[in-house]
Amino acid sequence: MNVDVVVVGGGIVGKTAAIELAKSGAQVSVVDAGINSGSDANAGSLHVQMQSRFMRLYPEQVPNIEASLSLYCDAVEEWKSLQADVGSVELVQKGGLMLAEDDGQLAFLEKKAEREVRKGVTAEILDRSALEKIAPWLGSDIVGAELCRNEGKVNPLVANSRLRARADELGVRFINDKVRALSVSDHVEAHGDADSYRCDRILLAAAWGVNDLVSGFGVSIPSRAEPLHMNITETCSARFDHLVQHAEKSITLKQFGSGQIVIGGGWPARSRGLDRVPEVELSSLLGNIALAARLVPSVGQLRIIRTWAGMNTTNDGASIIGPLAGNPRVVIAVPGDAGYTLGPLVAKMATAGMLGNRSFDEDPRYSPARFAA
Amino acid sequence: MSKLHFTFNDKPVEFSAGQSLAAALTEAGIIAFRQTPKGEERGLFCGMGVCQDCLLTVDGVPNTRACMTRAADGQNVKQQVAFPVLEKAPIAPVAPAACKLEPDVAIIGGGAGGLSAAIAARASGASVVVLDERKVGGGQYYKQAAGHSPLDDQQHEGAELLFLAKESGAEIIGSVEIWGAFDGPLFLAECNGAAYIIRPKTAIIATGAYERPVMVPGWTLPGVMTTGAAQTLWRSYRTLPGKRVAVCGSGPLNAQLALELAKGHAEVTILAESAPPHWCAPITALKAAMADPGLVAKGLYMLCDLKRRGVALHYRTKLQSVERRGDQLCARFRSEAGRITETDIDVLCMNAGFEPQNEILRLLGADMSFDASAGHLRCQRTHDMETSVPNIFAVGDCTGLGGAPAASIEGTIAGVAAAARVGFRGAIDLSVESRQLARHRRFQANLWKLFDTSPRRIDSASSDVTICRCEEINLSEVLGGLQTNPSHVGTLKRATRVGMGRCQGRYCGPVVARLVAKATGKPLEDASYFAPRVPIKPVSIASILAAEEALKDEC
Repeated sequence: MNVDVVVVGGGIVGKTAAIELAKSGAQVSVVDAGINSGSDANAGSLHVQMQSRFMRLYPEQVPNIEASLSLYCDAVEEWKSLQADVGSVELVQKGGLMLAEDDGQLAFLEKKAEREVRKGVTAEILDRSALEKIAPWLGSDIVGAELCRNEGKVNPLVANSRLRARADELGVRFINDKVRALSVSDHVEAHGDADSYRCDRILLAAAWGVNDLVSGFGVSIPSRAEPLHMNITETCSARFDHLVQHAEKSITLKQFGSGQIVIGGGWPARSRGLDRVPEVELSSLLGNIALAARLVPSVGQLRIIRTWAGMNTTNDGASIIGPLAGNPRVVIAVPGDAGYTLGPLVAKMATAGMLGNRSFDEDPRYSPARFAA
Repeated sequence: MSKLHFTFNDKPVEFSAGQSLAAALTEAGIIAFRQTPKGEERGLFCGMGVCQDCLLTVDGVPNTRACMTRAADGQNVKQQVAFPVLEKAPIAPVAPAACKLEPDVAIIGGGAGGLSAAIAARASGASVVVLDERKVGGGQYYKQAAGHSPLDDQQHEGAELLFLAKESGAEIIGSVEIWGAFDGPLFLAECNGAAYIIRPKTAIIATGAYERPVMVPGWTLPGVMTTGAAQTLWRSYRTLPGKRVAVCGSGPLNAQLALELAKGHAEVTILAESAPPHWCAPITALKAAMADPGLVAKGLYMLCDLKRRGVALHYRTKLQSVERRGDQLCARFRSEAGRITETDIDVLCMNAGFEPQNEILRLLGADMSFDASAGHLRCQRTHDMETSVPNIFAVGDCTGLGGAPAASIEGTIAGVAAAARVGFRGAIDLSVESRQLARHRRFQANLWKLFDTSPRRIDSASSDVTICRCEEINLSEVLGGLQTNPSHVGTLKRATRVGMGRCQGRYCGPVVARLVAKATGKPLEDASYFAPRVPIKPVSIASILAAEEALKDEC
């Protein structure tokens, strides 16, 4: 098979990139292994403010995230343009609340909000009485919160389907295969389990799988799979518009258009290897739900109908966008933390570079060159 | 005696002690229990806690299954709206303290297999806990009577088995919904709002089967229910599902129900059997008769009795559609020769075979293989009924359809083996059981050849037929998703929402697994089905909180 561009990975980045490339007239094939794409397990939070979970678990990555904050603001705007192009993805932007249960946590949020505002994020601190007006459903232990108005949510199932339909419409070909290696000469060849795919250029949108593809090219990318857990309730008529997080503990809580509440936020799942879907951990299920019910007590009246686990990707906190040093035919597009939020924007930046509409040198901090082995 | 009553949408409904809400409402002529997000009405369907369609709001608590909840004096019952309102200030979840159990043998399911296993394991000296999701044990075959005397030999036999199990010293706990199964084994359950944490040394899974429906336009209407649901109404609660009834699908359970309802003075307008008459397969019929002359004689007697009572038995006849006409349903049948029969009824009962309730086994990773003749997975077991997961035994229909008599014998064998595993070696000779089991399996193998329960091709059905009851997804939506990306049922689920609802894909799952297999050309196997996940059944967050509290220091 011979095409202009092969995109490895059919998640949020791969699909949006394929759409961009196809729109420019390129002949595009997306090759995806069909297993453990983070986008398939994602719960649709649009993150902008720095996630406390991440700051706690990966403090060394915080400077990179903080430096990327404006990217997150732009990423949510990019979701809006995407929605205008592909149809409703149930995007709601009513802001995200990061809750504090004591004064110490609130003080932490105050400092965090100051840092974020300096980077262009719209963030403010609300005390309990201010919270009462916009989120009367919060538990009595909540003393205050950081409200980040940039934040929101989409329905990832709808978004993924819409993007797939748009890509199909533009003639993008989707192939189910696991790409194991690349060879580069005057063209690029992607070697999969089932077949090899020849192209002029290749876009690597394989998230946690990207290092295996480029390790022979003088870089070592620290992207790795992080198995995470999620839960969903039955429908209800209550309206929880905000994306809810916590200043110290791992949680995201939000409501889909279906009326169901999705509870997640980075509780670990048990890996069963990269070729199998991770397994739900009991401790995560219990801890995640218990925390949700403490923060938003009325959800305690509902039943959990499903849980699932999927692979998130972490690297060094910043996105990786750009060509491999010495191999301009091979371009990487891996978002930093909160990959689903950043996905469409990262795809757009990578494809703009490939299409010559923008120089990759504009954002050296996202260059894969930083991982030179 | 003063009358018992609850209110439904503020109107009083009388009931008899022991009746389920589903039975009491059915008796009062109320069949629409909940509204769906797309504006449809739903009522009692499976009658056994599987389909999650008979949800009511009871005393302000939404999502209460009418079939599994006992009616109580003074209850405030409301039809459930599509999007139930959450109380603004909920009562703090004061769930009772969690109950921890650590028996030698935990038996999940108190039907023929589970109770027999309990008796055998106790006889060897092991401590035994039986956990059953119904209030009264006995399972779907023995369907015990709630508050009245046994109806017939089958109920007598079940009552005796239940009595023997209790006498054996096994602890039998009802109303226990197992929602989690983890390595260890560790089981998590909910029982009347309390959390149960069970860490047995060995476990015997005896969770039985549920019914395969006939998916035609209208099969989700209130008044359309499984044969088993109608049988529970009558056998357990002495409630006729309706005055005029039609029964369809394939298999002996349909004939049994038709006869029971006819005896109970319902008018059975048609018993539609999709298979040809048994005399068209004389050798198979003879083989079944040789394996179990008693059961075959019972079957023949049943058919004669049906005829005597004027029930029209139509062979080679399938349900085409059902629709609501005023306060009745109109069911349309078509014979192989093309003859159309229409009948106006109160209730349409359907059973087109069975699906094993193998969720716990699949979650724990027990090896499965696909049985093409039954159209479902079978659990791989040793002669001792042990699965590929050490210390996890499995008996009866949850391992693949085999019938209640076989389940009983398998239970006895597994009970002895599980007790022996934890050091209780009773001097029990199982040679008779082994011979009986072989005979029952021969009977079953021939019996089902006489019927038409291998799954039907659905892709040629009407495109608007509902495939996923919960999410209200029809065939054309499923086929559309399949066309875009047929790679796996999980992909199809995310693309179309098929299988994402409360019943967790129990009805649509087997259908879409077959559709994906056909589209991809891959053989059916364990991985063809929706990935098994906790919770096995929807579980209240209140109960999760209680479990979390109890397990805080452990995990």
